[in-house]
Amino acid sequence: MMERGMVDALVAQQLVDDMISNLPKHDRGKRPVHTIGVGVDGYFTASDVAHKYCIAEHFSGQRICAKVRFSNASGGPEQHDGWSDVRGMATRFLLPSGAATDLIATTLAEFFARNVKDFFEFTKFDKHEPYQRESPWRKILDMLQLKVPRRDPYPGEKTNASAGILSYANRHRFGQLAVFEAKLIGAPRSYARAAYHAIHTFIVEGSDGVRRPVRFSWQPVAGVRNTNPDVPPNDDYLRQELDHRLRQWPARFMLMMTIGEAGDAIDAIDDPTRPWPARRVRVVMGTLTLTNVPKDQAAAGEHISFNPWRLVHGIEPSGDRILLARRDAYEVSRKMRGGIACPFNRS
Amino acid sequence: MPNGGSWLDQYVNELPKKPWFKRAGAWILVPFWAWRTPVKPLPGGARPSIQPGENLQSMMNLIMPLKKENKSPIGRAKAALAIAENKDQIFAGLDNVGTVHFARFVIVNDNICMFSVYDGDFSNYIRDFIATIGSVFNAVVELVEGGDDVIPCEENVEAFIQWIHEHDLYQVPDTATDFLRDQEALNGDRAVSPVNDDLTLLPRKMVLQLRANANVSLGSGYRAYPGFSVAQVRKQLGLGW
Repeated sequence: MMERGMVDALVAQQLVDDMISNLPKHDRGKRPVHTIGVGVDGYFTASDVAHKYCIAEHFSGQRICAKVRFSNASGGPEQHDGWSDVRGMATRFLLPSGAATDLIATTLAEFFARNVKDFFEFTKFDKHEPYQRESPWRKILDMLQLKVPRRDPYPGEKTNASAGILSYANRHRFGQLAVFEAKLIGAPRSYARAAYHAIHTFIVEGSDGVRRPVRFSWQPVAGVRNTNPDVPPNDDYLRQELDHRLRQWPARFMLMMTIGEAGDAIDAIDDPTRPWPARRVRVVMGTLTLTNVPKDQAAAGEHISFNPWRLVHGIEPSGDRILLARRDAYEVSRKMRGGIACPFNRS
Repeated sequence: MPNGGSWLDQYVNELPKKPWFKRAGAWILVPFWAWRTPVKPLPGGARPSIQPGENLQSMMNLIMPLKKENKSPIGRAKAALAIAENKDQIFAGLDNVGTVHFARFVIVNDNICMFSVYDGDFSNYIRDFIATIGSVFNAVVELVEGGDDVIPCEENVEAFIQWIHEHDLYQVPDTATDFLRDQEALNGDRAVSPVNDDLTLLPRKMVLQLRANANVSLGSGYRAYPGFSVAQVRKQLGLGW
């Protein structure tokens, strides 16, 4: 899979460099985004119908070992679990054949850029600026205009990029949905109580030989629940909560696969800024069971280099240009932080 | 989020929860902004689409205000009776039309409401129902405002379909920003190139739209088995037709 449709290596490097240059702080040995995370062990069991839709090995019905890394989307070394932020869920399926495949998802269901050009445009706006409490008079003025006043800064929050990102969305309608939803996203009570979406379209091949465009989502069996935004946020709770939760009982996620329709415009299939309508057919592809938070977090998550192009026979990338760019950008990022290449990767 | 602003700041943060401020918003600010930036009602019903999945399990949400003389327990009882008396016709109609997943009649205050989930084209759905249960529609519609102009529906088919369409609720899109696109489509997109919208106005735009469309359907509905027609479900379950 990894040789299809190369993005210029220099472009991938530039993407990563631009992201890093926008960060207030960056440790070169760490991921530039989704820096803070926790690795979890578990296993995946495909549903009875999964193989009909996708012949990939992890949908064969055997129990598949899995390693999952949950993360806060922000880059940089500071941990703010309780701040409103997108969360990540990267899953590596360790297949019985010795190969591996990854599924990378976030709590944001859409992306804010259609292609690399848009992404570079976004990085021009995604600059941290001083962020201060609005004056009460300014808040009243906003209310009189039926606008929502800017939220107060979190304790310790001196800068953020919200003003620039809003300007980007105002200028680019395709990015408005993702920016709007990210602004409202909040903080989950638990990594196990959020829904995660793989954003991009993949092409899967069923046991009948039919190839279908699909999008994947993880739905938490425990349900989706956020923290109360009216109370001061806790900077450090998500790892402990997950550890405590899994000591009592496993946490489960259902893997849902939405099938695109024949006749869908090509843009809707390959454009990660556009959600698919809720009326598309959804199939339950299996259940992920999380069992424990290993003590060795380096092996459990930090040293794993996920890549959305780590795919196996039965699943292929679509023509989504952001998906293509992520393949090389993730690889650049891995090399920059001295990460090890996937030992299970046979491609 | 209580994080130590001045007393004035904290008071201002609490303003949206104060009853007097809510009343001032509803009675002064909203009418003022509706006058300053008028908003037209958005049309109701499912959006036309060529996609197969978009033409399955569509929703119709009719809110029909009872006539003035029927805005009473007696009038509501008449509406209830009109449905009860026609139960057999409704079941026969559902079996014959074959594209309706669910249909419900509900009385809310002094409105008789019909909520249904159907497959295929809206006009054909109503046309089929007129052919099969026109008498039920006539019995209900004669109790509601403006209904006399379109009954008997069998003799006023196009006018009746239009009347139904006008009473069908606007369906707010599943995604907040698509609501802006609906407004732009209705009013003409006045954006200059390059676009420079103001997303901070989205709350006001939503408030004013909900003033223009006081009753709406929120989203396109949440479906446990999207993408399947009545016919497919019945066939798969071996229920025959």
